[in-house]
Amino acid sequence: MSLISLEFLVFLGITAIIYFLAPKKVQWIVLLIANYVFYAFAGAKYIPFLLYTTFTTYIGCLWLSKLNRKYKETLAELKGSLDREQKKRLKTASIRQKRWVVALVCVLNFGVLGLVKYSDFLVDNINGILSALSLPVLEMTVDWILPLGISFYTFQAIGYLVDVYRDQVEAERNFFKTALFLSFFPQLVQGPISRYEQLAHQLTEEHRFDYDRFKKGAYLILWGLFKKLVIAERIVRISNWVFNVENQATGVLIFIGAVAYSIRVYTDFSGGIDIARGAAQILGIELTQNFERPYFATTIGEFWRRWHMSLGSWFRDYVFYPLSLSKGLSKAGKWGRKYLGNYIGKLIPVLTSQFVVFTLIGVWHGSSWKYIAFGFYHGIMIVGGILLGPKLHKIGEDRGINMTSFGFRVFQILRTFIIVVFGRIFTMGNSLTQSMGYYAKSFQFDLDFLTDGLLSKWGFHRAEFLLLVAALFLLFIVSVLQERGMQIRDTLLKKHMLIQWMVYLALIFTVIIFGVYGYGYASSDFIYRGF
Amino acid sequence: MKKLLEILEDIRPDVNFEEETALVTDGVLDSFDIVSIVGEINDQFDVDIYAEDLIPENFDSAEAMMKLIERHLDE
Repeated sequence: MSLISLEFLVFLGITAIIYFLAPKKVQWIVLLIANYVFYAFAGAKYIPFLLYTTFTTYIGCLWLSKLNRKYKETLAELKGSLDREQKKRLKTASIRQKRWVVALVCVLNFGVLGLVKYSDFLVDNINGILSALSLPVLEMTVDWILPLGISFYTFQAIGYLVDVYRDQVEAERNFFKTALFLSFFPQLVQGPISRYEQLAHQLTEEHRFDYDRFKKGAYLILWGLFKKLVIAERIVRISNWVFNVENQATGVLIFIGAVAYSIRVYTDFSGGIDIARGAAQILGIELTQNFERPYFATTIGEFWRRWHMSLGSWFRDYVFYPLSLSKGLSKAGKWGRKYLGNYIGKLIPVLTSQFVVFTLIGVWHGSSWKYIAFGFYHGIMIVGGILLGPKLHKIGEDRGINMTSFGFRVFQILRTFIIVVFGRIFTMGNSLTQSMGYYAKSFQFDLDFLTDGLLSKWGFHRAEFLLLVAALFLLFIVSVLQERGMQIRDTLLKKHMLIQWMVYLALIFTVIIFGVYGYGYASSDFIYRGF
Repeated sequence: MKKLLEILEDIRPDVNFEEETALVTDGVLDSFDIVSIVGEINDQFDVDIYAEDLIPENFDSAEAMMKLIERHLDE
């Protein structure tokens, strides 16, 4: 069931009605059933995968919980009679046991994710090497099915597991409540990836229907539909045309195509997230933010703190921190400080981990070298930013540039935007080779396009293009207001009923009349749905 | 505490560690700062602060960090 279908809205409506009419004590069960009904619509054959992850995570967390308890009890019993060395050994032993549990559950789940998403990629590459060596290739490609949301719920499950390992949350003893946490339908398709501490209790708590909250959720859903159907589905024509090799786009056109794609991926993804958050809000549940006007970021680092925030913070807490504080990298850091100087030595753990994190983020996006290159590119940008930042700052100071001025901030925003847009080109080709071809072509300058009837080539009548520009302008204004801290929906709810209704109706009509609907809904599917 | 403040001011001379109480929650310190700080603390206080200790409560102020260090020294 696509998040932008009428079916979804009907499903949401029916679920909400049953949810709020049901006795408060069984609300969570209604939600659990709704989650699995939703998932069944996507494909009943995927359910075993979700149950598998739920089950392994549930058992793993109970086991960790038991190990945590054992450690604390032993410590309490023997507290007086142990010296510092013995206490340290007790702790290390407990940690080692817990690590085995985490490792096991990770292998079981990331293993399945890897198989389903990446095995063909792996086999292709192995075959590439084999045939280069004139050896027989492997006949092993299987048509794996890709369970809906597997990248998202797997990460959410492992995050919960590690939180229990760290004794930051209590393991859930009820299997069905665990299943509830891992199957919440608004976030199944494309996130956000939630944390146990933030989400779990909300799912099992009682919720009353609240009209204001319903209105806020409805606004958010409408806004998401606007972004997706009016903007994303329209602007995609530009990037599709530019990145279709037959059209032989060169020079500035490639950049324009990349800008169009950057806008498209933002409005598509964040629009879907808005629908998810709006739906959850109607039920009384708050899902974490996933985007914060990312294209207003002043540095690449800041961009990744505003784009796909739940993925970024997952990698920060579960990969970056553990990796950069690990014994291995700490030792490398000490070695670096001794032989390469204090400055570089201190940076070794951070830079290495950042690089690993971004390569993994690239890999997360898909099983192709172009995504790995994408991750690499951002890794280099981030590392470059850390290394060059202080020096560039000094140059700016020496030249007397006012780095707190609005003008400078605009410069930083544009600079970051260009870096991000440029990076997107990696993902535009069907393969890394094709993407590199686009990069090469972008350096060929050709101004004919200005007079070539470009709009009609892209599939736009003049009026429709103006509509797109108007929609983008509206998005921009709203974003600037939000960036200044305005809580738009709260402000709207304080206005006169007439105004509220006018905004609703305007949004509804805009979406219905100006939305681009594909054949059936296939071509309007969300980009991130296949994850 | 003095030793800790020296470490902190060395890594981020532009931050007033004696007064700030929302270093992580307000985004004053970013993840690189945290890693650098923890690296120095582990070294100079001879403790083992791991990723599981990296929650905002433990790093929002210099006092919080000192308490974290003392907890580790006690173990």
